[in-house]
Amino acid sequence: METAHKRPNYILIWVYLAVLTAAELALAFKLPISPNIKLLLLLFLAIWKAALVGLFFMHLKFERWNLRIMAIIPLPLAVIFILAGMSEHIW
Amino acid sequence: MTHAAATVDQMRPPYPAERGLDVYNTKLGMWVFLASEVMFFAALIGTYIILRFGAPGEWAKPGIVLNIKITAFNTFLLICSSVSMVKAYAAIQDGDPKKMRFWLLLTILGGATFVGIQVYEYIHLIEHGFVPSGVREGSELAELVAKGQLPAATMGLYGSTFFTMTGFHGFHVTCGVISMTYLYLTKALPGKYTKQSYGGIETVGLYWHFVDLVWIILFTIVYLI
Amino acid sequence: MTTVAATAHPAPAHHDDRSFIRKYVFSTDHKIIGIQFLFVSLFFLLVGGLLAMQMRWQLGFPGKPMPGGGVLPETMAPGGVILPEYYIQLVTMHGTFMVFFAIMPLLVGVYANFLIPLKIGTHDMAFPRINMWSFWSFFAAGLVMLASLFVPDGAARAGWTMYAPLSARHDLSGASFGQEMWSVSIILVGLSSILGSLNYITTIINNRAPGMTWFRLPLSVWSLFITAILGLLALPVLSGAAIMLLFDQIIGTHFFDPAAGGQALLWQHLFWFFGHPEVYILILPAMGMVSDIIANGSRKPIFGYHSMVFAIVAIAFLGWIVWGHHMFMSGMNPTLGSSFMVSTLVIAVPSAVKTFNWMGTMWRGNLRFTVPMLNAVAFVAMFVIGGLSGIFMAATPVDMFIHDTYFIVAHLHYVLFGGSLFALFAAIPYWYPKMFGRLMHEGWGKVHFWLTFIFYNLVFFPMHILGMAGHMRRIYDPTQYAFLQPYQPMNEFISISAFLLFATQIIFFVNFWWSLKRGKPSGLNPWQDNGLEWTLPSPAPHGNWERVPTVYRGPYEFSSPQVPEDYLPQTRRLPSDREPAAASAARH
Repeated sequence: METAHKRPNYILIWVYLAVLTAAELALAFKLPISPNIKLLLLLFLAIWKAALVGLFFMHLKFERWNLRIMAIIPLPLAVIFILAGMSEHIW
Repeated sequence: MTHAAATVDQMRPPYPAERGLDVYNTKLGMWVFLASEVMFFAALIGTYIILRFGAPGEWAKPGIVLNIKITAFNTFLLICSSVSMVKAYAAIQDGDPKKMRFWLLLTILGGATFVGIQVYEYIHLIEHGFVPSGVREGSELAELVAKGQLPAATMGLYGSTFFTMTGFHGFHVTCGVISMTYLYLTKALPGKYTKQSYGGIETVGLYWHFVDLVWIILFTIVYLI
Repeated sequence: MTTVAATAHPAPAHHDDRSFIRKYVFSTDHKIIGIQFLFVSLFFLLVGGLLAMQMRWQLGFPGKPMPGGGVLPETMAPGGVILPEYYIQLVTMHGTFMVFFAIMPLLVGVYANFLIPLKIGTHDMAFPRINMWSFWSFFAAGLVMLASLFVPDGAARAGWTMYAPLSARHDLSGASFGQEMWSVSIILVGLSSILGSLNYITTIINNRAPGMTWFRLPLSVWSLFITAILGLLALPVLSGAAIMLLFDQIIGTHFFDPAAGGQALLWQHLFWFFGHPEVYILILPAMGMVSDIIANGSRKPIFGYHSMVFAIVAIAFLGWIVWGHHMFMSGMNPTLGSSFMVSTLVIAVPSAVKTFNWMGTMWRGNLRFTVPMLNAVAFVAMFVIGGLSGIFMAATPVDMFIHDTYFIVAHLHYVLFGGSLFALFAAIPYWYPKMFGRLMHEGWGKVHFWLTFIFYNLVFFPMHILGMAGHMRRIYDPTQYAFLQPYQPMNEFISISAFLLFATQIIFFVNFWWSLKRGKPSGLNPWQDNGLEWTLPSPAPHGNWERVPTVYRGPYEFSSPQVPEDYLPQTRRLPSDREPAAASAARH
């Protein structure tokens, strides 16, 4: 098995994830900001955390593009579905 | 490839074949399977988003029905088990099966604890009157609904989506714990994983990180928003 | 991963010491699994046909006792007269059986399993044991669905699309257990398809024989590959939706119940988000196999191989963004509706590319009208009719007029029966020799083809006219509407043609069974084709090849000037051919 790439610092990623989770909790319950901005920030943090897991723990950062495509293909489909379903309520 | 000669049969089928993705079959198969899992959770999470977006009224505020503290701990636990999984993978890459077994066992324990805490949470919620169909009559939560602290119109949707999404996530964690235990007993303990041969660890690791990833999304959109 | 590598080593072809159970029942051999799918789904095809015959009796002769209907219990047909609540079960289960248990497994279960390893030159699937589970979960799903016909309050009765809230609430549909069994069975079908698809995708990507580059793959394999991607991504959505429906039915959730805040329209979005890719799952493999058969029957290379491949990819991609055209009348967002209309109309372009390429392939070919070729040509013709009526209903204003009428029924049967089933009547005799070592009877095959072709058109073409006249889909008794009474003779005509169409299929089934033992031995290559599978003995042995073959060219080199014969197998090495890199690399 190929180990040509430099191994990422897994503990550092873990610290990132823990800090981001704490930030999410603080954002959700302590910060007095408008709910819409809160929603956007929370979604941003969640996607950031998910990206960290995908890129470093699942090694997508170090895979070739044709394997990355496998992970990416379903995402636009899911987004299209959710947007279409949501658009039923805004016309 | 660093160990080209020793690892040739992991990368390719055991007979000459046209160049594929340069990824061995089980790993490729796991990625393909994860793509379908993405669509499965897209259906469940998408349903939640669409129902909540078009709900006939306010959604319950976070922190009233669900216990955030215990779930935050659970989230942390799952993140830790993801790190221990990747440490197990790194250990066997370095050719240290003893360390690998330690980290793998830690991952299994983390996953099992997560499931245990989730079962406890479910029991707790159901006792308080939060059920898949909404709020049980005459329960503690029903009083909150009567007092207007929880919206009556959307509690049914809340219960439906919460139990379906977290339930299926819990089911996936359970499957992960079972398959990791199986690999631990049949492969890791007898020492079948070596520096050259650790496909099972990598593949089950991919699944485990995916389950963690789904939980990261679920925790935010179900518990915090 | 030495252990995996060791188990992936196929047993060599010459010593096959597996027990009967491992060989024919819980088999991991892709060819046996394909044949298991073939027998089981042909059985379900028959079941679906029997249900359709009862529907046609009721529509042609409403209120009259059905011949042989006396055997049905009082709750279905007292005195042989079909009850409305039994009729809606017939409609639902006919659709369900035909889509999920006949056409889909016949195309994907049978031919993806049987053809992919043979055509790409490998010993077996990448994960033979997962492949076995794929068949057995399909089998379990079929048993559950079949059993639901016999439960006391009857089978599911909300149409094969299971529109909520009718399907979600037992007090509305009047069926409880049957409705739940439908959901459980569909979840199992989803599981089976996902397991199958991940196998097909991995196998095609990683296990192609040396020299079998992407653009040397036969179009049948290309289309099965793209179909597998569609199945992999669409079926989990259906499974998820069916799980939520089941929860609505048994644990009282409110996903699809508007009375408690749920959304009935959400079910339609979920169902058709799966359902439209499913439509292409049901037609793309047919297109691929027909391409192979037409090139062979015309003794010419396929016209526009690359454009065929890109058309398949384009259809598959567009298939994900058109699902709303099933819902124009549901009260959906009109802006969304018009974007669905445009994307649907665009699908006509790649479909037309394929049609013209088939005609270009046949143009000035040395046509051999064997049974497979006849059925393949019929596929092209019927697909054109079904495709053109599809363009009608893609336009929102037209669809508002014909929505949920017999025009839709005519359209979908022109693509599913005229398209997929004719392709199967081509594919089954074409690859029958490789499955069983014998040819199906040619003369009776032709009789079956012509009778099917005639009766099929007599059944389904008049349905267009009925639909334009406003004949509703799933209606129990058309004679209760004054405006439909003048069309009743046409309904009778359709019903009689349908009975004859069904009777014609007996010829096919008898031919199929008779040829298993008495058919003419076929030899290696009865159709003089180029594919890798024809270099193997018929039936192909366990493990296929002792050494995987080496491929030197694409699969459609017919009438090549380089050789005296009019076909040039993919594995034959001419002096000018270079050794593929993968083959020489393995030697060192």
